[in-house]
This record gives sequence, C-alpha cells and structure tokens, in this order.
Amino acid sequence: MITKDTKISKMLAQYPQTLEVLINYSPNFSKLNNKILRKTLASRVNVEQAAGIAGVNLILLLNELNKSINSDDAVTVDQGIAEEEMINTDKPEILKNANPEKIQKFDVRPIIDSGKDPFLEIMAKIKSLDADEVLHLINSFEPIPLYSVLEKKGYDHWTEKEGNVYNVFFFKTADVDEQQKEEIETQQAEDVEYENMIELDVRQLVPPEPMMKILENISKVDDKTVMIVHHHREPMMLYPKLEERGYKAVTNKIEDNYYKVVITKKR
Amino acid sequence: MSEPTSIVSAYSPPFRIVSKYFIAAISSFVLLNLFLLLNHSFIAGHHFSPKILAITHIATLGWVTMIIFGALFQLIPVVLEVKLFSETLAEIQFWIYIVGAIGLVYCFWTFTTGMYMDISAILLNLVMYIFSFNIIMTFTRVKNWNITGLYLGGAIFYLIVTAIAGLLLAINLGTPYIKIDHLQYLSLHAHVAIIGWVSMVIMGVTYKLIPMFTLSHGFKLTFAKWAFWLINIGLLGINTIFHYKDTTFLYYVFIPMIALGILFFLIQVYMIFQKRMRRKLDIGLKFSSYAYLMLALTTILGSFIAFVDYENITNLTIIYGYMIIFGYLSMLIVGQMYKVVPFLVWYHKYSSKVGLEKVPLLKEMFNEKIALYGFYFMMTALFGSLFSLTFRNEIGLVISFSLMFLSSLIFSFNMVTIFKR
Repeated sequence: MITKDTKISKMLAQYPQTLEVLINYSPNFSKLNNKILRKTLASRVNVEQAAGIAGVNLILLLNELNKSINSDDAVTVDQGIAEEEMINTDKPEILKNANPEKIQKFDVRPIIDSGKDPFLEIMAKIKSLDADEVLHLINSFEPIPLYSVLEKKGYDHWTEKEGNVYNVFFFKTADVDEQQKEEIETQQAEDVEYENMIELDVRQLVPPEPMMKILENISKVDDKTVMIVHHHREPMMLYPKLEERGYKAVTNKIEDNYYKVVITKKR
Repeated sequence: MSEPTSIVSAYSPPFRIVSKYFIAAISSFVLLNLFLLLNHSFIAGHHFSPKILAITHIATLGWVTMIIFGALFQLIPVVLEVKLFSETLAEIQFWIYIVGAIGLVYCFWTFTTGMYMDISAILLNLVMYIFSFNIIMTFTRVKNWNITGLYLGGAIFYLIVTAIAGLLLAINLGTPYIKIDHLQYLSLHAHVAIIGWVSMVIMGVTYKLIPMFTLSHGFKLTFAKWAFWLINIGLLGINTIFHYKDTTFLYYVFIPMIALGILFFLIQVYMIFQKRMRRKLDIGLKFSSYAYLMLALTTILGSFIAFVDYENITNLTIIYGYMIIFGYLSMLIVGQMYKVVPFLVWYHKYSSKVGLEKVPLLKEMFNEKIALYGFYFMMTALFGSLFSLTFRNEIGLVISFSLMFLSSLIFSFNMVTIFKR
C-alpha cells in the first residue's frame, strides 16, 4: 500500500504503472517523464510532498495511486494534512527588514526546463551565502523537498506564489554546529545519484553533422553517464537512431533555436 | 510545431522515386549542353525556330521541371509534415512524362506539327494533372500551413495554366485557330512557366532550404509574403490582359509589380544570408548565391525587354532566355543539388552506420575541387555566351558552350559519384 510517507522513487520502482497515474492526475507531474529529473527529484520526495509540489489533494491522489495498484486497504490519512496550507501567509519580520542588497536571487526555472536538476546548484548557492544573506529562489513549482534539507542546515523558508511562479526565501535562523553540518552534507551527497555528463554543442553544425557527432560519442553514455546536447533544433531524425541502439532522448526547448537534448541509456 | 530542419523526415517517400527524377534531369542537362554546342549556329536570330524551341524544352521539361518534380516529392512531405498522397502516382507520372517530353522535343526538332505533337502535348498535360492531383490531395492532409505551402499552391495553379497554354499552342501550330498573335501566346506560356511555376517553387523552397543549409534563423518573412502577392497579382493581371489587343497601360502596372515582387524575394534571400550562422559558403551555396544575383540581372533585362521596342536587337530574347535557363535556373539547381543529393544519399546509406564504422562527411561524398572548377567554367561560359550572342561572335559562342558543356559533365560526374556510393 502507498502511504503519504512512501518515497516516489520507491513507488515508481515497485509499481511502474503509478507513473501514468501521477502524470494523468496533474500536468505538474509531467516532469517525471524526464528520466533524469525523475531519478534525482523523485528519490527525495514522498507522496505527501509530491502532492504539495503539484498542488493536488493528498487523499484523492493516494486513493488514485492505491486504486492503480489494486490495494484494498482503506486510506487513512488525517484529513487535516490534506487541508494543511502549504504556503505561509505572513511575511516573517526578518524578510521585511532585510536589506535588498543582501537578497541573492536565483531563478532555477531555466535549469529545470533544460532537463537538469538544480539541486546541486542550489546547494552551492546556499554554501556561498553569508550568514545575514537571504536566498530568493524562483521556481515553477514549490520546492518542498528543499525545505527539510535546508532546515537541517539551519535555514527557514517563506514562500509566496505569484501566478505560476513560486518565490521562496531561505534565511538563516539558527547556527548549526559545524560537525553536524558536514554529516548532513555527506548524507546528501549519497542521496543524489551523481552522474558523469558529456556535453556536446552542435549548434554550429549543419545536418547531418549534429547527428554524426552525437552518434560517434554515444558509446560513452552508460548507466552512470548522461549526454547533454546543445542543439539548434529538435533532432527528430535522431530519435529512431538512438532507439535502435538502446538509448533514449528527452528534448527541452529553451528558446527559439536552442534546444537541450538529454540522452540516456535505456535500462 | 517545430520547423523542419532537415530534408529527410519520417514522411519522406522512397529514395528510388526521387533519385529517378534526379538522374533523368541530370542526363537532360548534359544532353541540353551537348545539343547547344553541336547546334550553336542555330542559336541566333529569332527565337521562334524549331531547334531553339526543341532545346528550350529539353531545358524546361527535361532539366528544370524534372528536377522540381523529384525535389518536391522529397520536400513537400518534409516541409508540410504530411505523407505524399500517392507514391504510385509519382512513379507512374515519371514514365508518361519521359514519353511526352521526348515526343515533344522530337516534334519541335523535326517540326512535325499535327498529331504527334498534339499527342505529346496531351501526354504532358496528363502528367501535370496527375502531379497536381497528387499534390493537392497531399495538401488536404496538411495541418500546419506555412509560407512555402502557399507558394507551392500558387505554383501548381500556374503549372496547369502553362500546360494548357502549351497544348493550345501545339494545336495551333498544326491547325491555326488562335485569333491573337501566336507569339503573344507563346510569351504568356513562357512567362507563366518561368515566373509562375518554376519561380514560385524556387522561392517557396528557398525560404526553407537556404536557412537550413546556412543555419540561419531569427529573420522575419515579411518580404516573402509581399513578394507572393505582388507576383501573383501581376501574373494574373498579365494573364488577363494578354487576351486583349491594346494593353499598354495595364502592362505598365503589372510588369513592375512582378519585378518588385522578385526584388522583394531577393531582399528576403539577402536577409536570410545575413542572419546565417555558417559564414563560409560551400560549393553548393556558392552556386546558389550567384544564381540569385543572376536572377536580379535577368529581372532587370526582362523589365527592359518589356518596355523597349527591341525588335531590331534580334538576339535579345535569346539572351534573355539564356540568362533565365543558365544564369538563374541552372546555377541554382546545380547548387541545390550539391546540397540535397549528398545528404539524401548519405542519409540513405550511412546514417545507421555512424559511430559503428567510419562514414564519410557530406563534402567527402564528391570531388569538391572539380566542382569549384565547374563553378568557374559555368560563370565564364555564362558571360562568354552573353557577349558572343550580343556581338554575334561565333568562336566565342563555341568556346562558351564548350565550357558550359564541360561544367555540366563535371556536375554529372560528381552526381554519379554520389549516387554510386
């Protein structure tokens, strides 16, 4: 049975059919279609957090998920959790008084859109912050998993939603003892699946050279390695060639004439 | 929907259909140049002579239109994201076309008017109807229209007008019935063919292929839209007034419209070239870019002819025709073929072997060095012919035609090299 504490990654591994349920349930889950994002994001998120991220009702989602795996167990989740307001309303004093120069803006949407997980970059950003600085994170969904991770590092958060944009402010509340901090970091490092990355920029090449360059390097892509291709278009003719050789690709349009193609080995 | 950025897609027809047209067209080009060289003494005087009519039709039917058929069967599915309505019709059409074209050229050459010429013209009409039917049926499935589709739609219309006008002219040679001047009708047939059919295709396809080959983007297609309407209104106007006798005033309206439309097209092409990411022009683009310059020169000459009483410069129409067929059309076709054919063959033969074994680069598919000689020969031949025709210099004409023949041999040698891979 799937509960609110079930990790999404575990659920997807055990019951692959639930992926479809999630995606059908809310378009916000469609990012899970992207294997890289799925692997990195889903391993940190449980069902409750996922429901919060997508802004859907937890109980209804759990019902759907359990239905799909034919679980007869009744869903017994405290109604209160589902109704719990995910977004705080009162702006904390510390933010109201914050010096605008001390607020570091970081828009992670381009990174998400390009099919990558911004987690490492966010952590790097946090690390570079001075004690009195605030990180202003801009994202297209609420980064709930981050809250607990950063909480351990002594950061509190305050989130406001503007249309489809979430503005999340992380600010230091209490000092965390250095040793404890290190422990957390090592633990985090193990949580995220580190992968090697091959980057190719084929934007200056005319067909069929982009395809040639990609296929010539494809043998370097394995279970731990991903290829990111900067392309001037969506490589429609490449997909069947990759398919033939046991690879798959996800393409994200970044802007006109700039696409990022993420190629991974099929499992 | 994403822009098509390659000349191959999942909708492409079998390679054998397209290559058949290309091989027939390339053979016609060599034949055309051989005929010109052997019969250079006939290439003078009034253009309305059997040999010139025969050679012109080798060029327009065997070379230009043949290439266009093959290219469109390949490109329409890619550009408009549809499958061809019928690949069988594309195949059948080819054989009727071969018979019709050879028949018509033979009849002109020997000036056999009457039944045989009429039958050839009817066969050619049949081919154009089959082609148009096939393409229009293909159009009905298109979900995403674009500017190229618009131009191709126009082109189909003028193809039919050209074919019907050609048939009427052929019949008129055997049994005269046209009340207006036969030559006036001939001019209509020729201009609708070159501007309406051939150029509409070229312009529409240019907007897709040149950005593709030069990696150009970020340009607006405003001029392309204006060019379309200017040329079409101009052509329709000319089509209408050609049926009447006193048309001077309207002539002054419609001819400049067409010329302006072509100018707009050229500005659009210039804008596309300006925005290209690939600065260096390879051999295919070198031929092509000079072809666009030749189109500019030809348009100036054409506008001049339209307004000036040129009857005492007898060779002027021949010079004009030569500029159209060799300066503008042949240079462009040769250039585009150097881009399209290596890619198609490469895709067909090598794309599934990349990364597994060594495959050639596109420019290694043919001899680029001799292709460059081919370019210089063609340029020299072009201006040599214009000079020799203007000053009626026979030796100059023989040298120029020989160079053009040589250039066509280099081109076909390279094409055969690619096809044989």
